[in-house]
Amino acid sequence: MLNVKDLHKSYRTGKATYEVLKGVSLAVREGEFVAVMGPSGSGKTTLLNCISCYIPADSGSITLGGEEIARLDEQALAKVRNQKLGFVFQDFLLLDGLTVRENILLPRIIAGQMTDESDADSLCDVFGIAAIKHKYPAEISGGEKQRTAVARALINRPLLILADEPTGNLDSKSSRAVIDSFAQARDSLGATIFMVTHDSFAASFCDRVVILRDGVVWRTLTNDQPSRGAFQDLLLDAIRSMSAE
Amino acid sequence: MKPLTTFSDVYAALRRKNRGQYGLLAGCCFFSVLLITAYACMMRAPTILTILPEGGDSRKQVMMVFVLAVIGCAVFTTYAAGLFFRQKAHETGVLLALGAARGQLTRELGKELTVIAVLSCAAGAALGAPLAWGIWQLFRIFLVDSQEMPLAFDWQSYLLALAFAGYVAAMLFVTAARFIRRTNIIDIVQQAHRSEPIREVKRWYGPVGIGLAVTGAAAGYLMPSFFVRVLHWYAPGAITAVFYLPALVGLYMILLHTVVNGWGIHKKRYKNIIATSMMKFQGRQTVRNMLVMALLIGGAYFASFYAPMLSTSAEVSFAARPVDFAYHWRADQTLPDQAEVQALADQYDVHITSWAQQKAAVFGADGMRSIETETALGATYTTEYAQILDGATFFSESAYNALTGQQIDLAPGFCANVLDDEGGSDYLSGGDVTHLTNMTTGMALDVTPAEPLCYTMLLGCYVLDDADYALLSAGLDDIYRETYVFFNVADVQASYPFADALFDRIVDCSSPAVAVGDYYDDVAAALAAQAGQTYEFSPEEAAARGLGTIDYADRDTSGFRNYWKYMPQFRILDQNDFVTTMAVFLMLFLFIALICFAAVVVIAFTRCMTIALVNAQVYDDLRHLGASNRYLSGAVRGQISRVFLVPAVAGTGLIWLFYLLIMYCNSTPYGFTPSELAGLGACAAMVAGGSAALYLVYRITRARVCRALGISPVRRSGCSAQSGVSARRAYR
Repeated sequence: MLNVKDLHKSYRTGKATYEVLKGVSLAVREGEFVAVMGPSGSGKTTLLNCISCYIPADSGSITLGGEEIARLDEQALAKVRNQKLGFVFQDFLLLDGLTVRENILLPRIIAGQMTDESDADSLCDVFGIAAIKHKYPAEISGGEKQRTAVARALINRPLLILADEPTGNLDSKSSRAVIDSFAQARDSLGATIFMVTHDSFAASFCDRVVILRDGVVWRTLTNDQPSRGAFQDLLLDAIRSMSAE
Repeated sequence: MKPLTTFSDVYAALRRKNRGQYGLLAGCCFFSVLLITAYACMMRAPTILTILPEGGDSRKQVMMVFVLAVIGCAVFTTYAAGLFFRQKAHETGVLLALGAARGQLTRELGKELTVIAVLSCAAGAALGAPLAWGIWQLFRIFLVDSQEMPLAFDWQSYLLALAFAGYVAAMLFVTAARFIRRTNIIDIVQQAHRSEPIREVKRWYGPVGIGLAVTGAAAGYLMPSFFVRVLHWYAPGAITAVFYLPALVGLYMILLHTVVNGWGIHKKRYKNIIATSMMKFQGRQTVRNMLVMALLIGGAYFASFYAPMLSTSAEVSFAARPVDFAYHWRADQTLPDQAEVQALADQYDVHITSWAQQKAAVFGADGMRSIETETALGATYTTEYAQILDGATFFSESAYNALTGQQIDLAPGFCANVLDDEGGSDYLSGGDVTHLTNMTTGMALDVTPAEPLCYTMLLGCYVLDDADYALLSAGLDDIYRETYVFFNVADVQASYPFADALFDRIVDCSSPAVAVGDYYDDVAAALAAQAGQTYEFSPEEAAARGLGTIDYADRDTSGFRNYWKYMPQFRILDQNDFVTTMAVFLMLFLFIALICFAAVVVIAFTRCMTIALVNAQVYDDLRHLGASNRYLSGAVRGQISRVFLVPAVAGTGLIWLFYLLIMYCNSTPYGFTPSELAGLGACAAMVAGGSAALYLVYRITRARVCRALGISPVRRSGCSAQSGVSARRAYR
């Protein structure tokens, strides 16, 4: 589904150049729920922004559904973002002037495909936000906002959902609800999810966790543990061992 | 609720939600175009152009303040547009992130901006003229009205308004295009939260800024005189204007220093830390706005000083006249003599207490002729001696003594120039002369300059020894002979009807031959005729040069009373009719001051409200950290007062110093005359009034900002605060 090969990205600040991604390669299969973890500055968010094509990579390739997206023009990129990618942000990025339902429908409205609105209602039911679908973002909780964002990310049935620290601004209860939403999206809707997170609890729900360190993939852990708790322990051990090195 | 089905529907929903932002942008554009249109209509109105001589200082001042107002309004609307797109950045970033194409956004934004630009600019342009007319009518109803006051507009003024409206529209679209063209979605999303910190500002910025401001003001004012007097060069306005630039840079540095470092003692640093820090991170836009406000306040005061300065100095000068009534006429005219004036006085029950009537002669006088050469960079000039340069009025010493009551005794061969009693008007005198010519007989007489005499009523005249005068004036034609009458009355305050009637009588008795401006010189006209040339100040030529013509039917207009060569000087008439005569001048500058102050108030109010809303989260955080309502109110005061106080102090201080400089250098020798000091006193009262008005606006603005932030007005005992978020919602 997603193939990233030898991705490089650096930033210039004054005369200094900081290489953030130093040849990252990874792949995500269809229907897989993958997390990217790593300490601050390891390049997680930069990797996500490159895959989203929000920022251009210096070199390397990003293939989504067999299409090389790193070299697309602006018009084609907008279409990829709208049709093939779904986004969930740490700050939710809902529009205050639209209701929950309208926010969910937004990608479809942007695509000019407003023939069927029932999908939004179905997603509201799936994620338990049907009761608030006519409310505005200012009137709902953080967890509800993020579930709205997840529903919005799914409305155009994208190939891949990109989530940037989706639980970063939430309490534990809301975080759990959001992660459950992702799991539900994968299980019931077959969604493929690529999530950047600091949170080992959130990552423990994933099928696979890629750990970045200093701009390269340090280790990849597959969830073949008997329980979620065991996988979280494995993640914590890995993080501890990385810190010890 | 209608379901959203199209991208336009989404935009419409967002617009409804953010109508305050749209209203602010549209309001700022409307207000700017309105003010500029009103100003342009007034500036280009035939009513005004007739009064302000072409190339004169008054017209230049009006244009200068107009340019200032245009710059101010341009910066203001640019700021409003920047703020609008900054607030719009979040939703635009989200839409781009979700796959909206830039073309979609451009189309929707284009439609919105077209509506905003067209409606606000059209409304501003359409209402500008009615606003100017309305204000002018209020002046006429409540302040003063005169024959010259009826206002007419010239359609060409709308070209200026249209140009400014065009700028506003173009600026909106260019800013929008730049905004949409930005490629980094992450940057766009985060833009709304980004502050604009100013780089480090050294503490020497303040004092150096003051130095530059003072130096620039002095250089800007004095350099043109230096060019003319020393380099014999009439430099183009653009070059002389460059010398004001240090003042602008200095003012900017002062404001930067004030916003970033402050002038206070470091011990108080923590007391104002919130206000100072927040202002610091409002950065560049705040300082630019403050600079514009300071300039507009300066412009407003500069314009508003005109009326008090003119009227006060005129009042002092009228009161200081040594005689109540003075008039003169050319010998070929038949004007009221003593008997006729006495009869008229009796008719009006006026008692004439003294009467002096003496002859004078106009001789050709020598001097240095200025020969100008036009160059690509203005004109240069050289001087050459001319035995007959122009005409001047000469008295015999006995005639002078009889008129003035002085007892002078000039030696034969000497000639004394008459200056004014107050001093400072030497530039109005012709200076020393050494060679005199009888323009009828051609007889010439060399004289030696004597010590100048002082008598305001005869400023610019000359006095000769009796024998010299008799010798030289022999055979002089009537057009070079004049009669001067000075008389006093017992109760001058009661003599207005008499003065008015005598004035009418004098005008009625004057023939068209003497319907000339005070720039007209019989000697120069004769010289031009002898040389077969056209005299540049003949009535026809003067009219063609925009100097205005003297028409006896317009005897109550400022043009006639200020410029008729034989205009009588009647103390009571001048005192009572001053405001009416100068009504257009006075009201025009009052109008300009009002426009500038209105712009300042709107800019300050808008800036303060945006500062409050941009920093709303900080106030909420402070509240959560336990800050009392009193503390929050103090922080608001710290911010708002800077927006008002700093430009007010800087603008007022700079213009006050500049005005002092002008007054000081206006006199020869340099100094302040009593009438200038009186005028400055009146200007100080004007500053006090303007500052009080600004303070009132400041208090209202502060109250509105506190309300927007949910901070109750502070009383001595402190107060309760409502939730900032809920208060802001209520405000929105």
